[in-house]
Amino acid sequence: MSKDRSMRRDFLKWCAGAGLGLATPIRFPDTAQADDSHELPAYDGPYYIVFNASGGWDTTYLMDPKGVGGINRLYEEGDILTHGVHRFAPTAKHKEGGLSNEDFYAEFGDELLVFNGLDYSVNNHSPCSRYMATGKLDSLAYPTFAALVAACQGPTCPLSFLTFGNYSATGNLVAMSRVPYLPSLKRIANADAIEGNERSPYHDEFALSRIEQALGERRADRARQPLLPRRDRAENMLYAAQINSKALARVTPHIPQSIPKQRLAQQAEIALASFKAGVCVSANLSIGQFDSHANNDRDQMKLIPEFLEGIAYVLHRAEELQIREKLVVVVQSEMGRTPTYNKGDGKDHWSIGSTMFLGPGIKGDRVIGSTDEKQFAVPLDPTSLSDDKERGIRIRPEHLHQALRQFAGIADHPHSREFPLGVAGPEELRGIWG
Amino acid sequence: MRTSHASVNYRVRMVVVLTALVSTVAGADDKSSCPGPDCVAVTDAWFADEVWSKVGVMECIKCHKQGGDAEDSRLLLRELGLAKDDERKKLMTLNRDAFARVARLKSGDQALLLIKVAGGLDHGGKEVLKTGSTGYRILEQFVRRVNSPAATLPQTPLINPDAPPFFDGVLMLDDVRLLRRATLSLAGRLPTKKERATVEADGLKAVPGILDGVMHEDAFLERLREGFNDIFLTLGVDGNPDATVLSYEHFEKTRLWYQKRDLSHITDEKERRQAGYKLANDYRAALLGEPMKLIEYIVRNDHPFTEIVTADYIMVSPFTARGYGVFDELKDQFSNPDDPFEYIPVKLKALTGRSRREDQESATGFYPHSGLLSTFQYLSRYPTTETNRNRLRARMYYQHFLGVDVLELAARVSDAAAVSEKFEIPTMQASECVVCHKTLDPVAGLFQDYWRFEANFALYGKRKEGWFTDMFDAGFEGEDLPAKERWRALEWLGERTAKDPRFAVAMTEHAYYILTGRRPLLPPKDLDDPLHAARSRAWQEQRQQVEAIARRFVDGGFNFKDSIKDWVLSDFYRADGLATAATTPAREAELSDVGVVRMLPPEQLERKLTAIFGQPWGQLTNQTAMLYGGIDSKEVTERATDPSGAMGAIQRTLSNDVACRNVAYDFSRPVADRILFPTIEPDVRPGASTESDMQIRRAIVYLHQQVLGRADEPDSREVDRTFALFAGIVADAASKGIDPREVWSCRQGLESPVPDPHYTVRAWRAVVTYLLRREDFLYE
Repeated sequence: MSKDRSMRRDFLKWCAGAGLGLATPIRFPDTAQADDSHELPAYDGPYYIVFNASGGWDTTYLMDPKGVGGINRLYEEGDILTHGVHRFAPTAKHKEGGLSNEDFYAEFGDELLVFNGLDYSVNNHSPCSRYMATGKLDSLAYPTFAALVAACQGPTCPLSFLTFGNYSATGNLVAMSRVPYLPSLKRIANADAIEGNERSPYHDEFALSRIEQALGERRADRARQPLLPRRDRAENMLYAAQINSKALARVTPHIPQSIPKQRLAQQAEIALASFKAGVCVSANLSIGQFDSHANNDRDQMKLIPEFLEGIAYVLHRAEELQIREKLVVVVQSEMGRTPTYNKGDGKDHWSIGSTMFLGPGIKGDRVIGSTDEKQFAVPLDPTSLSDDKERGIRIRPEHLHQALRQFAGIADHPHSREFPLGVAGPEELRGIWG
Repeated sequence: MRTSHASVNYRVRMVVVLTALVSTVAGADDKSSCPGPDCVAVTDAWFADEVWSKVGVMECIKCHKQGGDAEDSRLLLRELGLAKDDERKKLMTLNRDAFARVARLKSGDQALLLIKVAGGLDHGGKEVLKTGSTGYRILEQFVRRVNSPAATLPQTPLINPDAPPFFDGVLMLDDVRLLRRATLSLAGRLPTKKERATVEADGLKAVPGILDGVMHEDAFLERLREGFNDIFLTLGVDGNPDATVLSYEHFEKTRLWYQKRDLSHITDEKERRQAGYKLANDYRAALLGEPMKLIEYIVRNDHPFTEIVTADYIMVSPFTARGYGVFDELKDQFSNPDDPFEYIPVKLKALTGRSRREDQESATGFYPHSGLLSTFQYLSRYPTTETNRNRLRARMYYQHFLGVDVLELAARVSDAAAVSEKFEIPTMQASECVVCHKTLDPVAGLFQDYWRFEANFALYGKRKEGWFTDMFDAGFEGEDLPAKERWRALEWLGERTAKDPRFAVAMTEHAYYILTGRRPLLPPKDLDDPLHAARSRAWQEQRQQVEAIARRFVDGGFNFKDSIKDWVLSDFYRADGLATAATTPAREAELSDVGVVRMLPPEQLERKLTAIFGQPWGQLTNQTAMLYGGIDSKEVTERATDPSGAMGAIQRTLSNDVACRNVAYDFSRPVADRILFPTIEPDVRPGASTESDMQIRRAIVYLHQQVLGRADEPDSREVDRTFALFAGIVADAASKGIDPREVWSCRQGLESPVPDPHYTVRAWRAVVTYLLRREDFLYE
């Protein structure tokens, strides 16, 4: 059996080296065989979490404060606070629960990179969500960054790409995993044992090995036959899903005893346990209700602090789990909110917004891009990363996604090349990560 | 208005894709080289394949059509709709001529068409094509040809007359396996012996008749409801439906009838409380079930499927009738007035508010029903807000009933924020916004009398100030709603919807979605993709099939069952394999979406298990169903189509557990009652004799047939492998000093003792586990 295990490992290594997950329509090498190994190599990072403020956050109450022209009713320009180069809106006096901007910046400002003045071009939820998640506005086929990086860096991980909401297209590169509740993780951790009790296996080990061997031989046999592309891909993914699912047993020790109450914290625990177990590359975390067409200030003062508290929770727990130094955090929303209030004290959709980044390899205490006093995007010189109203360009999601792909080292991966972003060399954001 | 003035552009799926037959317009004799200056046929073909397919229908016709934003311009194009061959050819010629007329115009020394399309001369649609892009180059070439007919045509044949048929080399399911696929998919059962025999004797032509019978079964109707809920998602109404479907304003006195139900005859307090809960739950489930029961009623009774937008009734049960306050007048029509789920069609009276101001206006005294459109469930599932102004409802209407996803592909605006600032009413003034809102907003206006934002309080109600004047007037596709029709605006919309050719296509696509779990292909957009021609052919082939089925659907009086049958008999449903591997990337691209190959969703998987083993697994519910890619119709609305590791784990558990429950149990039963092992006993061991091995092989053949639907020969490679698994495990066990009994959990509930001294029972269990983990069980 050790030979089989070795072959299995070689096969997985071969897949990874070729930039191909088992999810992709590939042909098995003739010698590939399955075994009963539990030794799928653990994915060791970096891990990616994309936080999404679903519905459209008011950036002027967070990282792009204004306080002029009636844009904000809760503070004036003179009330704007700073931490290092960051300027942020004061929220400590207005928040309903959660974490204030003051506390968030005090703890994380030094490692935080903010991008202001992002131009989404359009301002409807559906296209904006797609655009912000994938970097491509006019295609339904493109994968989200989280899915793409999972497909490139950990295609064999059983929960390679976890999602808890937001736009989550995969480009057919990797399976999307939804694990909505913590107890669900326990349920799937020991699939070959009765009631999940490892001491009560359904099959004796030798019988289970024979089952796996038969399935592996059959898959290899099928891979040599002419199959419809859909069928080939489906059989490949199915085989990979079942084989790789064995690694889920590693999650069990990292499932917390108690379930946190906060929405983002619940999602985070599932993602972090999966990261720690080496079975997950990326996760979309999301909370909604930011679409504050009525009573903007009240809603945003409830949701932004809740959102920041969730981010802080992840970073603290990652510290405890000793994976903080491998955790890359992207914080985004699909749009901003108008610089004016409507009749219902709400704010409508605005096609200019902001994003935040934090993690290893990202130099913090920096703000790139800006909006003017009316909350319009100021063009940016992509080389110097400074404002340039005359010769600068409008920075859109594809620019940030191109930079993210480069940051993750996947810009030239075949999967990325399959989904080009069309950012010309001179428009690439040079040195954005510091 | 800023909420949805966005520069959205909409991909008109039907309109865009109804060009699939363009290649037929040209005629089969067209050649790639032009024989002379008057090679009209070749020009037609080139126009159809290039100018029309890649530019005209993808961009220009969005505005340059009757009712479009550019209807008064010099370029007026015609949609092809469901036009048949001659009519289609005529329309295509009109479009070619329209393009040619504009292509002859000049501004200075430049072609007007090229200046306009690049955003010049104040083109209303701004920059549609970038100079130098593939689309632009196609137009350049067209302009050259029009102004100099002798200009050289492209060297590459656009329509390869020598291309083999699309399905050449694709293997189809044999008729018996097709029957199995269809009965399992539609009714969650295996074919009966009689059905099998009929198909074995009469072949494919027997299938439609059998499907007619299948589609009368309750299981099919359940599958129908399930499939359409995946589309309409009406089970996902927020909150308790006794409040959010039946509002306080109009059903104040009746909607909570169950709270007053006398349950005093149940003496045990706990039981009484439980009965109360059940009453409420059944009532709520019955309310949520009404829209899909409407679809069931239409299909079951072979009514025209247009009734989903025109029916002047809803379906109510004894429980929901109480909620509407109409039970007393209906009770004699129910077979069982206490059955929460017995539905009958009913026409409601116009709504009566708590104050007369909130009474519903009605010229007939009845509620103006219009199929699903006017159901409280649909209106509550897709609510509106002060700022959304019914645009969500309009968007969903287009998506659900005309197959148009308004927001699917949004055109880029150079600066949406600036547009908002520049125009007082961007949705009526900024061309990039108008292109969409001119279509969307009139339909939003048709929902204007459902202008309440808290469903719990009211759904119906007029806006005090009258409908918005900064929106295009209520209407549909260029036709204004007459004032006298306002009280029945949704009925008015439904009548027009039923006549719109896009409706039939959209319903045909829904049928495809229900059968395959995925939506039809989109037209390829990337003109520079080296595989564009191949992807385009795949899309065109599928589109031709969609249109052909849609035409028969219309010709047959909109019987939805016809669409299902047509799809089942189509090559797209029957395709199952390849004679030889696809040898080129182009051929792979052509075939990339061919074949059903659908991972069964949790509900269907449970039904398949029931069909095979006589009982469901029962675990693919609630949270586990969600883990297995199911939907909740609220937050999670798209089923997972590929298995993740979590789903792989569930498949392992399922295969282990189902085998555990069934194998020893089956052996414990009389032979005549067995499902899995009617031809073998556990004491038959491999290697004991030639006869025993053959007996085992025959048992495997039976299992392959029963579990997988395969017809394998006893000496086939597949049976060899299963035999090796069985024999290998028995041999391994012989050297290991084993317990002579099945494991405890797998020997519960047996009808008679099943000892396992030679490990054969457990080896058979391993075989069943192995089969249940295979794609030919887990996929359709």
